[in-house]
Amino acid sequence: MKPSEANPGLYLHIPFCSKICPYCDFAVLTGGPERRRRFTDHLVREISMWADERSTFQSIDTIYFGGGTPSALAQEDLTRILEAVQQNLSIRDDAWVFFEANPEDVTPESVRNWRDLGVCFLSLGIQSFDADALRFLGRRHTPEEARRSIEIARGAGFNTISIDLIYGLPDQPFEIWKRTLEQAVALQPDHLSCYQLTIHEGTPFGFRLERGKMSELPEDTQGELFLFTHSFLKDSGYPAYEVSNFARSPEHRSRHNQKYWHHVPYLGVGPSAHSFSGMRRWWNERTLKPYEARIGTGEKPIAGSEELTRSDLALETLMLGLRTVDGIDLISFRDSYGVDLLKRNEPLVERLVREGLLKVEGNVLVPTLAGLAVTDSLARVFELGER
Amino acid sequence: MDDIRNFCIIAHIDHGKSTLADRLIQRCGGVEDRDFRDQILDSMDIERERGITIKSNTITLRYTARDGKTYRLNLIDTPGHVDFSHEVRRSLMSCEGALLLVDASQGVEAQTVANLYLALEHDLEIVPVINKIDLPSADVDRIREEIDSDLGLDPFEAVLVSAKQGIGIDDVLEAIVTKLPAPQGDPEAPLRALIFDAQYDPYRGVVLICRIKEGSIRPGQKILLMHTDKEYKVEEVGLLQLKRVEADQLEAGAVGYVIAGVKAVSEINVGDTITESERPAAEPLPGYKEAKPVVFSSIYPISTDDYEDLAKALDKLKLNDASLTYQKDASQALGFGFRCGFLGLLHLEIVQERLEREYDLSLLLSAPSVQYEVVLNNGTEVIVDNPSLYPDPGSIKLTREPFIKASIMIPERYLGTVMELCRERRGYNTTYEFLAVGRLQVISELPLAEILFDFYDRLKTITQGYGSFDYDITDYRESDLVKVDILVNGDKVDALSQLVHREKARQRALHYCERLAETIHRQNFKIAIQGAIGGNVIARSTINAYRKDVTAKCYGGDISRKRKLLEKQKEGKKRMKMVGSVEIPQEAFLAVLKAGPDS
Repeated sequence: MKPSEANPGLYLHIPFCSKICPYCDFAVLTGGPERRRRFTDHLVREISMWADERSTFQSIDTIYFGGGTPSALAQEDLTRILEAVQQNLSIRDDAWVFFEANPEDVTPESVRNWRDLGVCFLSLGIQSFDADALRFLGRRHTPEEARRSIEIARGAGFNTISIDLIYGLPDQPFEIWKRTLEQAVALQPDHLSCYQLTIHEGTPFGFRLERGKMSELPEDTQGELFLFTHSFLKDSGYPAYEVSNFARSPEHRSRHNQKYWHHVPYLGVGPSAHSFSGMRRWWNERTLKPYEARIGTGEKPIAGSEELTRSDLALETLMLGLRTVDGIDLISFRDSYGVDLLKRNEPLVERLVREGLLKVEGNVLVPTLAGLAVTDSLARVFELGER
Repeated sequence: MDDIRNFCIIAHIDHGKSTLADRLIQRCGGVEDRDFRDQILDSMDIERERGITIKSNTITLRYTARDGKTYRLNLIDTPGHVDFSHEVRRSLMSCEGALLLVDASQGVEAQTVANLYLALEHDLEIVPVINKIDLPSADVDRIREEIDSDLGLDPFEAVLVSAKQGIGIDDVLEAIVTKLPAPQGDPEAPLRALIFDAQYDPYRGVVLICRIKEGSIRPGQKILLMHTDKEYKVEEVGLLQLKRVEADQLEAGAVGYVIAGVKAVSEINVGDTITESERPAAEPLPGYKEAKPVVFSSIYPISTDDYEDLAKALDKLKLNDASLTYQKDASQALGFGFRCGFLGLLHLEIVQERLEREYDLSLLLSAPSVQYEVVLNNGTEVIVDNPSLYPDPGSIKLTREPFIKASIMIPERYLGTVMELCRERRGYNTTYEFLAVGRLQVISELPLAEILFDFYDRLKTITQGYGSFDYDITDYRESDLVKVDILVNGDKVDALSQLVHREKARQRALHYCERLAETIHRQNFKIAIQGAIGGNVIARSTINAYRKDVTAKCYGGDISRKRKLLEKQKEGKKRMKMVGSVEIPQEAFLAVLKAGPDS
């Protein structure tokens, strides 16, 4: 997907959750129906502020409800939001709607509602099929509810059903994770996102870690789990297309998320949402109060922005490209940024190829599986500047 | 001359010397209160931060005593660390008396004794002062006993003070006036003045700090430095009252400054005697000893672009620090740098800190080394202080290393562990004697190289802070020396090569390998670290390649954050040295070179 050829995306951040998970560092909060309705008012108003600039994001073809928990919003709120989107922004008729939902919100009625809204890609926050793990992660659903939510969703006619899983929990025996993967595969989703647990500062897990009441897995164990997860899913028919994302076939890849990795423009609305126009990135107020206050005064709730230089974009292209199995197209990299990545890093690339971390396939530099596992370290060692 | 008293304060580190000096200065109105700051004589930031005096300072105080007369009291501040004992000696030579400061709870310590002996060597009159009597842990009676038994001084002469609280300051001043002798010396005799310190003033050149022993010195006079045989013309003389106060002349007995067109501190030797060119004295003053560097290390700029700046900074530092020596040096691993000589490890650390702080340089220092004597098979003798210049082992007949005599004061209960420490450090003739009930002094002959690293820290640890230590370099002795190289993925890191006693080689090599393994970050390939003598590997460790280094989520909002982190990490890589294909962070060198093998 070349940025110039691709249509932009729209991201809508729904900051509500019925309960805040102890590992989460997103902009989320709890709040009753009244609070959610007020937020919807503001979100709708923010969307309308883009009406005059709709041409910046021409022919949007993915609409992504993320959060938080979009499924925590009432159907009428969701409808109002989508109406505002249609009215104020440039949306293609065949645009896909992506929707994140928690298993406990999945009922035959709710999936019908979401389908009615045009949801094509339903992403379920399953996280685990193990009761202990779900408890540890502070989730409100049971393994049984998790399984049932997938079955209910399957009958509703979504194009893609995806499930989110978390692995690498500090005390989780390897066997439990393996069984979770087996159960996931047995339910035949179209897409999986498997995230290795990251403990962020400022979260309850972060505090526990600081006080020594929780520990992170040793790096070597994390590495083994990463490799196992990828091999297992590949063998089960779900090859990875990104560090944490697996699809039954290329059609089921997340068209929206791939835009982030390919520098395709996107508009983000809602608190903390980021937008990217090709040369500029900006982001909204992170918390709800200033977000709503800014909108209340009739201005966009933009908290900050940055102009991206050619070298910024080059570094991002490198780091993002090395996260995907599509890798980096060396010719378009050279055309865009004036750096011959291979020539500039010749002995390094030779070494990394020899170590089995990279492959050069024609004009594409591709990380191997072992390379994906250490992709951050790969992005660090490449030289992009003048010699 | 009767109204002059020249004195210094000698004390163990931390016994409150600078605080007492502060109080004396304040009491005598030597400084306006608004100009006052703690440790006023310690002009360098490092001195104030570390609470030690590095460069001695001198001040003239005016004190009207109880007898109604006004005295000129020259307080000659002395450094308080073993590295700088040559400066202590010179300071003592300009005094007639000394206040011997003892902490009311810590009591007499090794440096107290060492300093007392030094003072007695120079025939100084001693007044004991017990400080910190306000502390709850103060035990004046016990300290009196120690002053009597350890030092052989009259305990009832001791003045009781709390410099911090300002208690007993007048008693100290009275004791200086009544108990210390006035200077003697014929003001009409040919000039003999001892240079006991020198400071660099960017506008005036070198300011010589002198004690006039005989004769007098005034502007316009032609002077001769007796040891270097150099002539100068006096431009200005005066007294030091924190600021320089110009005077018509300085006469026998006085302490003051002389400006005479000296360009750099390295031109002169502190300790030299000034005389008149027209009417030279027959003999220089006794006790002249050149301060020789005993510890050597190569200093490299982290960024090779900073080499010129480092050269300039060393030039400037040298203006003010005559005991620092340096010459060009080059390392394969670290590029161009300078081989520097220091008086000791503290001196080394101070030079490093001043270069980094005052000149904003990032530096790497190679493993400190002493000076070895190497006798070759053909009979020639070479001196080696740089492992990279160590001759081919096949051509060496024998090697010798410098030895010290260490005196260690400890409570009796630590005798066993301290004897063991001396044994570990290849000590010879380790003996001890009781100083008083429960306190003793251990004497040991140790290789200087063995105390370079962390001897003092280890001593403090194993004696729970009660042990204290002082040393003198004595002689060179034959020693079985080997050169240990450190290899990273087969490439020698020449800056980590070092000369060690064969018995210690494995231990040292292992220590280096382990520290490197801890501080070198994982990379995209396995890294082997080896310690070797010649081709013979004696220690090894391994750093595994990264197994997992990937951020799980990278969506819209994560991209900027992640790029910025990456930029920061890439910036950090510039502070790494490449050895072959391995990035070695500065911290790795620091960690290896700083901590000793036993820590």
